[in-house]
This record gives sequence, C-alpha cells and structure tokens, in this order.
Amino acid sequence: MGQGHCVIGLEQTAQRAFHSVRPMPQRSHAWPAFFPYGRGSIIRFSPAATPVSPPHLEDQNTHGLAPSGEEVGEVKLVEMLRRAEVSANLQGLFGCQLHIDTQGGNAWADPSSATRSICGCDFRNIRFRFFSEGSEVSLRAKLLMPSGEILNSLPLVDREWRRFFNDFVQRSSQTGRTPDPETFLNQSIRSQLMQAPSRFARIGLARGRPNEAKCWLMLDSLFPQPNAAWLSQ
Amino acid sequence: MSSPENFDDSRALELSRKCVASRLPSQTHPEDDDDLVKTGALDSMGWVDVLVSIESATGFRDFGSSWPESRTKSIRGLAAMIREAHSTLPEDNTTERFAADVGRGSEVTIRGWGYALGSVTVAAERIEEELHLAPHKIRDGAGIHSLRCVDASEDELVLGQRAAEIALEMAAVDVEGIDILVTTSTTFLGLPSLAASLHSRLLLRENSGAIEVGGACAGLIYSLAVAKGLLRAVPQGAALVVASEVHSRRLKNSDVSGEFRGLFGDGSCAFVLSSAPATNQEDSLSLGDFVWGCSGNFASVLSVTVDENSGIAVQFKGEPLAHSAVVQTDRILEILENKCGRPRAEADYLALHQPNPRVVEILSERARVPLEKIPLISRSCGNLGSATCGVSLCEALSNLRARRDPSRAALIFMAAVAPGLVWGGTFLN
Repeated sequence: MGQGHCVIGLEQTAQRAFHSVRPMPQRSHAWPAFFPYGRGSIIRFSPAATPVSPPHLEDQNTHGLAPSGEEVGEVKLVEMLRRAEVSANLQGLFGCQLHIDTQGGNAWADPSSATRSICGCDFRNIRFRFFSEGSEVSLRAKLLMPSGEILNSLPLVDREWRRFFNDFVQRSSQTGRTPDPETFLNQSIRSQLMQAPSRFARIGLARGRPNEAKCWLMLDSLFPQPNAAWLSQ
Repeated sequence: MSSPENFDDSRALELSRKCVASRLPSQTHPEDDDDLVKTGALDSMGWVDVLVSIESATGFRDFGSSWPESRTKSIRGLAAMIREAHSTLPEDNTTERFAADVGRGSEVTIRGWGYALGSVTVAAERIEEELHLAPHKIRDGAGIHSLRCVDASEDELVLGQRAAEIALEMAAVDVEGIDILVTTSTTFLGLPSLAASLHSRLLLRENSGAIEVGGACAGLIYSLAVAKGLLRAVPQGAALVVASEVHSRRLKNSDVSGEFRGLFGDGSCAFVLSSAPATNQEDSLSLGDFVWGCSGNFASVLSVTVDENSGIAVQFKGEPLAHSAVVQTDRILEILENKCGRPRAEADYLALHQPNPRVVEILSERARVPLEKIPLISRSCGNLGSATCGVSLCEALSNLRARRDPSRAALIFMAAVAPGLVWGGTFLN
C-alpha cells in the first residue's frame, strides 16, 4: 500500500456500459497522500504512454488530473459500477483460479493467469477483523459472495472506511470509552451494512512484490460507504 | 478447536518459521531475529497474513490482533506470542471448549469396527462402457479399478446392519449395551430416518438414542465427534457409529454426468465406542481431539441438489474440486499435527476421504505421506461417500492390530472434506 493513493475510476464505453481505468502519475502507481478528489468525482486527464503490466491492464499513465466540477452520488456510482466488471463467483473475479495458502487467509491470483485487476461483486454477508500495533491499525474483511463462496481476510484499503475507523479509534481514546473495535464493527456497523438495500464491493489485485508471482486480493471499495452518524450510536 | 497440547519453544518456533515462509517468496530466508517488516521481507498486509496463518494453525482466536509496539515483528517474536497465547487461553471460548471437551474429557476408545460393501463388483471397463465414457477414463483417469455396488436385495440399512454386527462382535458388546446410535448417510433420504430404521433393525434398547448427523463425506468424522461428546454424559457407556451409502441406486436414474457417477460405490462402516476404561490398553485406540470447519471459499466446486422431479442434479468442477480437496486435507493434517504434538511422519496410517485414487496420489505427494500409509480402498470400491474414510480406518485399525509395534505409541490421522467445503479431522492414539 505504502504512502499515497491508488485511484481507480470508470470510463464510459457505451450508453450503459463502463470499464475500469486506473489513472496514474507518470512515474508512479500512486498519487500523493494529499489527493484533492473524492469518491464520485468526475475528472479529466490526458493519457500518456503506459507500459502494459498484466494483470493491471486498467493502468493508464496520465499527464495529471483536472477537475470537471461534477460528481456523482453514491447510489448513482454503485449503479455505474454494477455496469462495469462484475462477478458473482470467485472464478469470475479476475478470470482465473484464486489460491489460498493458509486456512482462513487471504487469496491471491497468479499474475500470468489473471485477466484484469479489478472487479465488483455483490456480497451477502460481511465480517471484520481488526489488527493493531500501537496507533497502526489494519482492517480485514470476510465476504460472502452470491455464489456462496467466501473471500477470507481481505485487507480493507478503502480510504473512507479507513478514515472512518481511525475516527472511531480516536474518538474512543478521547472519550475514554473503548468498546472492542471488532465488536463495534461486527455488530453496530455490520448491522448498518446488512440493512442497506444495496451492498457492493470492488475487489482489486495488489501489485506483486519482487520475486513473488502473487497478486493478493484487496477490498478496494465497500458500499455503502461509512456514515459519520454511525459513530454516535 | 482446542489448543495444542505440546507447544514448547521449538514447536512454536518451527510453526512461526513455517507460517512466515508460506508468505515469502521461496528464495527469501529471514533469520529468526530479523524484523520482517523493517527489513522489507513483508509489508503490512503480508504481516497480517502471517498472523492469520498462525491463528488458523493453532486455533488461538484473535492471535496477534494487538501486537505490542515494543516487540520485534520477527519469527522469534511470533514464537513468543504463540507461547503467551497458549499460556493465557480464555476459559470461556465456547467452540474451543466444546472441542476440547470432546477431545479431553473421559477417554473414549474404539473397541470394535467393521465394514460391508455392495456385493456386486463392477470392473472399470464395464463402468466406462455403461456410462458412455472414453476408454480408460475411470481406470487410468481416476485410478479406480472397480466399484462395489449393491444388488437388488441390498440398501443402506442392509449394509449398515452388516457393518454394525461385525463391529459389535469384535467389541464383544451386546446390542443391549449400546446407549447411543449415531448414523450418517447422504443417500438415505427416507423417513423413518436411517438411525431410527437401523435402531429397530438391530433391536437396540428402546431407551438408547438414535441420532442422525449430516456432513456428507465428512459425516463420519462429525458422527464420531458427536458420539464422543454424548458419551461424556454416559459413564461406562457405549455408542455405535454407522455410515452407510448406496450411491448406485440414488444416481442411477439421474441426469448426473457419467464421469461423476462412475466414481461412486456402495458401502458402510461401523464403530463401537466406549467410555469405559479399556481392559486391554494395547488393543484400544483413543479418539483424540477433533478439528472441524467450513471453508466457504471452495463452496462452488461441488453442489448437489434435488430438483423438482426428485432427480439429483450435480454441479462439479473436476480440477478445482480435486485441488481444493488436496489443499484442505493437507491443512487438516497440519492442524492435527499441532493438536497431537506429533508430525504426520510418525503416523502409522492416515484414514482419509478419497474422492478417487488419483486425488489421493496427489495428496500423498503434496502432504509428503507415503501412499502405503493410506489404505486406498477407493481403488477397488470407488468413493463411498461418508463411509470412505471409515472403511479406510477399519483397514488401518486391522493392519495396526496385526502388525503392532509395542515399542512405540500408535497414531492414526483421520481427515475428510465434503461439499461446502465442510471439513473435519481427528486422530487416534
């Protein structure tokens, strides 16, 4: 993950069809930690030459991003995401078999087999895991797909969800009230998610580390997005 | 899942090395004291994966969820964390406590065993011809030389009764002495249930229980766990556990593909368990801890449904199914090693579910277990569903009794996977 933001968006290919595109600075995969756009922002960019690096075929180098002044709300955004890459089962996520090395562990795809690096899916259930070391927090999610298959231990890298949870941790330490984070996530927050009429996730493939032919799965986006009001419950 | 019983320093260190290695490229070999994150061997995601991996292998819930800032993220740090987690196991973890109780309460031993197969032997070539399969598909592709199928007079009850009577005779236990009957079957769909019907067929005491357990191919292991747990309430008690499957009849008039149908045979197995102290320790193996779970990430590789016309519909993906069965069985063995504190290399036998002999051969290679330690009943009988690992266990127990080396403690690992993927395992020693 590192410092900075990996950004992925949608490009319209037909009246009701979209495909994912990952705009990047010219010399990096990630944008600086201060990124002035939010989820749903509509941006413009002029493409630059991009070396192809499977399975990250959505990569698109740019000469920088420019605001359009427009944005779409969450409902509309999810509607658009559902018309882009989606799968109801594991095999369809990245067009290849997924592998799991350890019981209950995260899955990975072989970069030479995967045909894309991002895909959306509905989910039927979700549970969270929480890992901490001092102020450093890692979140993992376990998702049940419509096929009945399970994705274990997905690192939750969604910026809004991470901010939301950091706010929770900060607020807990300020008020002196320290509810167990996992209980909070799996009861209060999970209940909000499961009551939502539309539950959608975008799963991405991380870039393989040097000498490691594995692209680990990540939970890039989780809808509905967190609501600050949930913290006051 | 209960905690390992022998988590000494070296075992904790060995497990830590193994879990770290599973997350590193094969050419990376960190020292035990290296900070894995600071040295860049692992990123933060990889580190959490290692914690999850150890949690999975040990059963320590929330392992490493709160990592002390002062502790190095090293192999040695992980080993220290394992020992601490082991020494501070929570008292009130229901799942762990139940499994531990099933494992460690009053000792339950296997006193008798037996199995019965369909009386008709069908050669692989005939199966291939009848099911319109390519030549050698069953014999060479699956490694099955023949199937054992029922004749017109046989069914789950007949086979179950035969196996039960053999087991009862070996145990020298009269049917009046059976306190609980636990049965499992995927193919018996009628009511009264198999347990009720077999209870009547065997003329068990009216006040002995009759219980059905599901779990498909893992059903026998779950049945043994249930029987063991129930025997805790019956001091000096005895349980009869029976698995019985007649696939040939169930699949006969279905639209199920030939390459699936051709793998299954008919058979049953039975075990007499006792919570009474064994009079001859050498002849009785105890049921150890049980491990179980359900790995939903493999759920789509095999599904069986009953359609509107009461026909069986099967969806399966051959290669992923075989792969997941192999991977999951290997994992069960790893957990069992941690449970009993002895490596698989010390096992006399492994009584495993056998989707087909080829899968067992692949597993043998992956799990580094000599094939001769796995009684390969599927080669001559086919996949017997829940009875597969039971018939394999019967063979293992009989072989062990015949060739017992009194100088060392006997050990048998047992593992099975079923659609879902439901999995279970135990060990006998």
